[in-house]
Amino acid sequence: MIEAKDIRAGYGDGADILTGISLSADRREIVTILGPNGCGKSTLLKTIAGYVRPRAGSITFGGTDVTAVPIHEKVRHHKVGYVPQTDNVFGTLTVAENILLGARQLAKTEKEKRFAALMDQYPALAGKKTRKASALSGGERQILSLARALIAGPEILLLDEPSAGLSPLMMHEVFDAIGAIRDSEGMCILMVEQNAFEALGIADRAYVLSLGQVAMTAKASDLLEDPAMRKLYLGGEVHAE
Amino acid sequence: MFQFIFDALIRSVDLALIAVALSAVYSLIKFPNVALVQYAVVGAFVAMSLHTAGLPLLLAGLLSAFFVGLLAVVFNILVFERLLKVDSAIALIGSLALSMILSAVFLLTYGPTAYRFKLEVTPAMRVLGARITDHQITTLIVTAISLGLFALILFRTSLGREMRATATNGVLAAATGIDTRRVTNVVVFLSGMLAALGGITLAMRGSVSIDLGTNMLLPVFAAAILGGLGNALGAVVGAIVIAAAETVVTNTNVGPLVGEDLYFLPASYAPVASFAILVIFLLFRPRGLFVSEVSRV
Repeated sequence: MIEAKDIRAGYGDGADILTGISLSADRREIVTILGPNGCGKSTLLKTIAGYVRPRAGSITFGGTDVTAVPIHEKVRHHKVGYVPQTDNVFGTLTVAENILLGARQLAKTEKEKRFAALMDQYPALAGKKTRKASALSGGERQILSLARALIAGPEILLLDEPSAGLSPLMMHEVFDAIGAIRDSEGMCILMVEQNAFEALGIADRAYVLSLGQVAMTAKASDLLEDPAMRKLYLGGEVHAE
Repeated sequence: MFQFIFDALIRSVDLALIAVALSAVYSLIKFPNVALVQYAVVGAFVAMSLHTAGLPLLLAGLLSAFFVGLLAVVFNILVFERLLKVDSAIALIGSLALSMILSAVFLLTYGPTAYRFKLEVTPAMRVLGARITDHQITTLIVTAISLGLFALILFRTSLGREMRATATNGVLAAATGIDTRRVTNVVVFLSGMLAALGGITLAMRGSVSIDLGTNMLLPVFAAAILGGLGNALGAVVGAIVIAAAETVVTNTNVGPLVGEDLYFLPASYAPVASFAILVIFLLFRPRGLFVSEVSRV
C-alpha cells in the first residue's frame, strides 16, 4: 500500500535528516516507526504525508507515484488521513464542524451516515458535538482528530505520536481505538510513536530509525521480546509484562 | 443626540468595511497589509471612472469591487506570497512600499485634485431631528448588505468553514485536505472587494483623492486592532468605538476649557481619538476587546 524507496529529505537549505530510507506498509497492518529523539521519525512521516518534499527517492500509494503530491491533495485524492502530533483540532470550531471538515467531498447523505456512525463509535464526542473543540481534554482532542481523519473513509492513516501529552489512561483508550480501526476498517496505518511499549503492543511491524536511516526492521512481537534491541534502540522504555 | 448617534454610525460604516477586510486577511496571512487602504482608493477611482464613462453607479461599483478583488489576488500571488516566505515583517514593509507605489500611480493618473461622483444632490431629510442624506442611507445599506453576506459566507457555508479552519491552523487545514492557498486567495479577493466598496461609499458622500488612503490608515488600523486583529467581525465593533470617540472629539464643546462660550475642535483633530485609543489598547490590551481564542475567525 505504502512504498517509500531511498528517501532523502530535510528542511530548507539544511543537511539531509533522512539519508536514504526505504519502508513499506500494507493493508490491515499497523507499522510503527520508533527511535530516539532527532532520528527523523516525524520528518519521515511528514515526507510521506506530503508536508516535506523528498530531495531524492520515491513514494507510492497503491502503486501510484505520490512523491511530489502535497498533503492536501493526498488527503483529497489518495484516500489518506493524517493526524498531526500537536495542534490537531480546530479550537475555534465545534466538535461537529471539526469532523465534518474531513468529509467535504462526500455527498450529504453519506456524510450524515458516517457522522452518525462515528458518534456511535466515539460516545465521548457525541455528547459534546456542539461544543468548541478548544474545550476538550487532550485525549478527547486526539479522538476528535482521529474521527476527522476517518470520516472520509481513508485507506491509509498516518499518525504522528498519537499518545503525545496523554495520561496513561487516555493513552490506552487512544491505542485501543487505533487497533480497532485496523481490525474493523482494514486500513494501512503508519504510526510514529515515542512510547515504544504501547506502540509495539498494537503494531504488526516496526522500523527503528537511527540518524536518519533504518537501523532495524522486525515484527513488533519480536522487538518486544528482544532485550538487546530494547536496550539499544528503545532506551529501556520497553518492559515486558 | 440622535444626530450624534447617526454621525457616529456613518463614521463607523466608513471604517468598518476596510477594517473587516484588513482583519480577515490578517487572520490568514498574519501580517497587517497596509496596502488594503489603498485598495479602497483604487476602488473609488475605478468606480468613478466607470460612472463618468456612463455606467450606472451600482454596476460601476460592483465592477470596480470585482476588479479590486482580482487586483488584490494578483498582488498577493506576485508580491506577498513571496515576501511571506522570508518573514512577515518583510511582507509588512512590502505592503507599505506597494501602498506608496499605488499613491504615485494615483498622482500620475488623476493628479492631486479631489474628485466627486456626479450624483444628484437631494435635500437632507430630518429624522428625529437629525439630518440624513440619500447617500448616507445608501452607504448604510451597502455596508449592511456587504457585511451580512460576508458573515453568511463565513458562518453558513462550507467555504466559510474552510476559511475559519485555515485561519485557526493552516498546517492542520492542509492535513484535512483544504487547499489553503486557494482559501487564502478567496479571502484576499473578498477583502479587496470589501475595501473597494468602503472606498466607493466614502467617495460617494465626499470626494476621492490620493490622500484618502493615508487619511484612513490610522482609524482603520485602530478599529482592526481594537476588534482584535484577525477577528474580522470584531473589527466592526472596533469601528463603532473609534467612530464614537472621533465623533465625541469633534462634537464636544471645549469652549469652557479655553475661556470661550463655544469652541469645537476642527474635524482634522478626529484622528487624535483614533491614535489615543490605539496607543491605550496597544499598551493595555494588545489583542483587542475580544481576547478569547474562540472568538477569533
